[in-house]
Amino acid sequence: MVSLEELKKEAQMLLEEGKVKYIVGYERSTNGLMPVPAFIKNPEDVERLVWDPSCIYNLTRFLVDEKRRKEKEKKPDTRPVGIVVKGCDSRAVVVLLQEKFINREDVFILGVSCENTGVVDEKKLAEKLKGKKADKIEFSDKDHFVITSNSEKIKIPAQEILAERCLECRASFPVISDVLLGEKVERRPDEPFKSVQKIESLSKEERWAFWKEQLDKCIRCYACRSVCPMCYCDECVVDTISFAVTADTAAEEKAQKIKWIEKSPDSSENFVYHLVRAIHLAGRCIDCGECERACPLDIPVRLLNKKLEKEAKELFDYDVGFDPEKPSLVSSFKDEDPEDFIR
Amino acid sequence: MEPNPYIPTLAKIIQIKEEVGGARPIKTFRTQFLHENGFSFRCGQCAMLSVFGKGESMISISSSPLVEDYLQFSILKMGRVTSSLHEMQEGDIIGIRGPYGNGFPIEKWKGKNLIFIGGGIGLAPIWSVLHTALGKKENYGKISLIYGARTSQDLVFKEELEELRQKMEVHLSIDVEEPEWKEFVGFVPINVLDKKPSPDNAISVTCGPPIMIKFVIQNLEALGFKDEQIFTTVENKMKCGIGKCGRCNIGLHYVCQDGPVYSWAELKNLPQEY
Amino acid sequence: MEKILRKKSFPQWVKKLESYTIYAPTKNGDLWIYEVINHSEDINLDYLNTVLSPKKIIFPQREILLEFSASDDGNPEIKEVLPEENPSIVFGVRPCDAKALTLTDQVFGGDFDDLYYWKRRNQAILIGLACNTPPSPNCFCLSVNSSPHSKEGLDILMTDLGDRYYVESLTEKGNKLLNLAKKLFEEPKAKDKKDLEKIQLDSEKKIERQIKEIKKIPPKLKGMFDSPFWDEEAMSCIRCGICTYLCPTCHCFDISDEVLSSSPLEGKRVRTWDTCQFPDFTMHSSGHNPRPDKASRLRQRIMHKFQYFVERYKNFQCTGCGRCISKCPVGIDIIEVLDKVRDYGT
Repeated sequence: MVSLEELKKEAQMLLEEGKVKYIVGYERSTNGLMPVPAFIKNPEDVERLVWDPSCIYNLTRFLVDEKRRKEKEKKPDTRPVGIVVKGCDSRAVVVLLQEKFINREDVFILGVSCENTGVVDEKKLAEKLKGKKADKIEFSDKDHFVITSNSEKIKIPAQEILAERCLECRASFPVISDVLLGEKVERRPDEPFKSVQKIESLSKEERWAFWKEQLDKCIRCYACRSVCPMCYCDECVVDTISFAVTADTAAEEKAQKIKWIEKSPDSSENFVYHLVRAIHLAGRCIDCGECERACPLDIPVRLLNKKLEKEAKELFDYDVGFDPEKPSLVSSFKDEDPEDFIR
Repeated sequence: MEPNPYIPTLAKIIQIKEEVGGARPIKTFRTQFLHENGFSFRCGQCAMLSVFGKGESMISISSSPLVEDYLQFSILKMGRVTSSLHEMQEGDIIGIRGPYGNGFPIEKWKGKNLIFIGGGIGLAPIWSVLHTALGKKENYGKISLIYGARTSQDLVFKEELEELRQKMEVHLSIDVEEPEWKEFVGFVPINVLDKKPSPDNAISVTCGPPIMIKFVIQNLEALGFKDEQIFTTVENKMKCGIGKCGRCNIGLHYVCQDGPVYSWAELKNLPQEY
Repeated sequence: MEKILRKKSFPQWVKKLESYTIYAPTKNGDLWIYEVINHSEDINLDYLNTVLSPKKIIFPQREILLEFSASDDGNPEIKEVLPEENPSIVFGVRPCDAKALTLTDQVFGGDFDDLYYWKRRNQAILIGLACNTPPSPNCFCLSVNSSPHSKEGLDILMTDLGDRYYVESLTEKGNKLLNLAKKLFEEPKAKDKKDLEKIQLDSEKKIERQIKEIKKIPPKLKGMFDSPFWDEEAMSCIRCGICTYLCPTCHCFDISDEVLSSSPLEGKRVRTWDTCQFPDFTMHSSGHNPRPDKASRLRQRIMHKFQYFVERYKNFQCTGCGRCISKCPVGIDIIEVLDKVRDYGT
């Protein structure tokens, strides 16, 4: 069992000794059960930290923000940032390290293990509670969560309210950490790509109809892109302006930037955006599921990326985000790589 | 049927003149409406120029309202729309809609001395009000211009500036020494201090790169100019031009409607984000 | 005009309105979205609130402004494209969303009338549904000069009294719709009016969240432009566009040319929703950006809604629907931010 007190103590020590700039963790929000990201700068503020099954957010994204902030400062504070990560989140840190986007000394990883369960999907929980408001949620014994609602304690089997990605989890404890809280419980799901196989079993027409219905809802708020730690490009295919522009960039260069996708949320533009993003995440997406959680229209965006994770495994035997020394999928090749597309 | 403010009117480019070449070229365009349903405007106002297939760009009208034959725009090549304009030939058709913005309050400046201070392409927005004042010279006091650019090649309206010397005081400057240059060498704000315009019964209008405006205003204040006596134009990214799309919003203002002309007194009260 | 409509007669009234295009909230998975209703039996008013407000019917996410093409001599020709004739009725509009439309009315009117907006606005009849219970735990309409039974912006307001609706027609357009099915409507009795009053009072008590002393906030904000407060608050913002796209009062848009063919030239000029939260919103061609960081953009959203708009139009640019709070992926809570603003420095 992960001890919250231990987490707070570790955090406090790091801040008191000045070893980290600040710590990114979870804290209670002002509206409902789900926590919000916390940025703890002072040792006394570690009391705000929480750790329970509602801590679903992937905080790795804030490492990208931190790098951007440092780039703008003249004399940046070069101490690392402390970050609380679960198993899935730690794989995101690994990918950022593989791509040399951040250095190992830029981050101090406070790993927490999900042990036997995982984190909770807010919508599934709401359905189970049927209108009752959840005030608190705790890990119970091996397979249950205990929800407190108006002093009533409700015990629910974890499998029924776990987030989709937890049902296919491939890293129940952080694969990289400076401090690890909780036990390293190995959990291998029977079918790591079950959710993708369900769609794959549909016919081509059914799949097209499914995705057309889903992507027609898209309002191009780009929350999926904004919340993803791996979408850190300054010059994104989707933007009409490149953020790498300076006062010295020639007018021709700016004028010739191709507009790949129009801003309109038409079917065709939405498809191109989502499919291009999925392909750009091939071998990089670690299935934290944040894109799907953030989507206000409940589009199952995660499935597109998961499909490419499956392709990476099946075609190239590539496991995403486990070994920071391993090169990224698209920048490496082996002689055994399939060549059936070469005729 | 009410006019649709988003629909531009077609106009033909009747003359293109290259003012500045090189890496940051500036061209002056004169346009005429195709079907004669043009518009009347006040100096300081801007118009949205449309290049169909590329987009729109808000450019200040640099000709004076006293000129009825054409509208003049001086455009620096910066991005997609302006590059496209620079590739056009005389006779090409573009769209123009406007006029937008508040214009200079010159009716309040009768009898006053007018000091125009510009840098680089910043002379273009002032050109309109300068010529309007010159056209009715009897209404105003002494009119003078302090204008500079990085090099002598970067000065705009070079020939017209020589003609202006016959009618009013013109003080030019360039940033760095050049052989053959007889006038002031140094930044425009320093030239202002050098020429010491008097704040008595005077109005000063300045336009140019943001950093130049900042120091010009500082130096004018040092010379005794009050906030209400200093005017400038604010540049902001604009799309609709009619105060609806929200892009040029600063404080409670939409620069496309409530600006771009502001006195320093008004500008000080707005959030400093431009 | 005040009438009573039995719930079982409701589908019959809708059937009489079939010459109009009827929009109503429809269930899509766990969400409610406004869709066109083809069968009067499909209308279901047992819902909370939609993800996207009815603003998208009046001010759609994509609107064609004009079409351009090359004429025979190679010069461009343009053709105005106004919205089609489409008399519509929107059912189930929550009072906060209707009041929001009165706020966007002020933006799209003024010195220049936005013909596209007004064509759609004038041909849509809005039938509201009062909130007997708050649709969201984050509702706070009472704090921003609205209420669960506000009539602002509506043509008809319906209140659910259990087995019947209390129907109040507020405009000529509303009267016309009631008159199309006169036989289905009854006169309200004293008990109906008493039930209505009780429901209205109860509905106000059920709103849990509020912004206390909101009048102190606009003047306080004015002095906080340069405060480091915004850096702290914006730390977790991921600069997506959800808060502004879902907001019923937000109106920022972009205009761009969509080219179908460059030679011969053919294409459309369209306007699409845009948001001040995207980093490229205020970016100049030169690369200069007056709002380069998240702090300045969050400050813009809050100050625009609670200070600039107040100064210009004398109203908060917020009707308390709570969507931005419920859907923000990182839980940025506008009520919490405003509470902190009010108490900042004390």
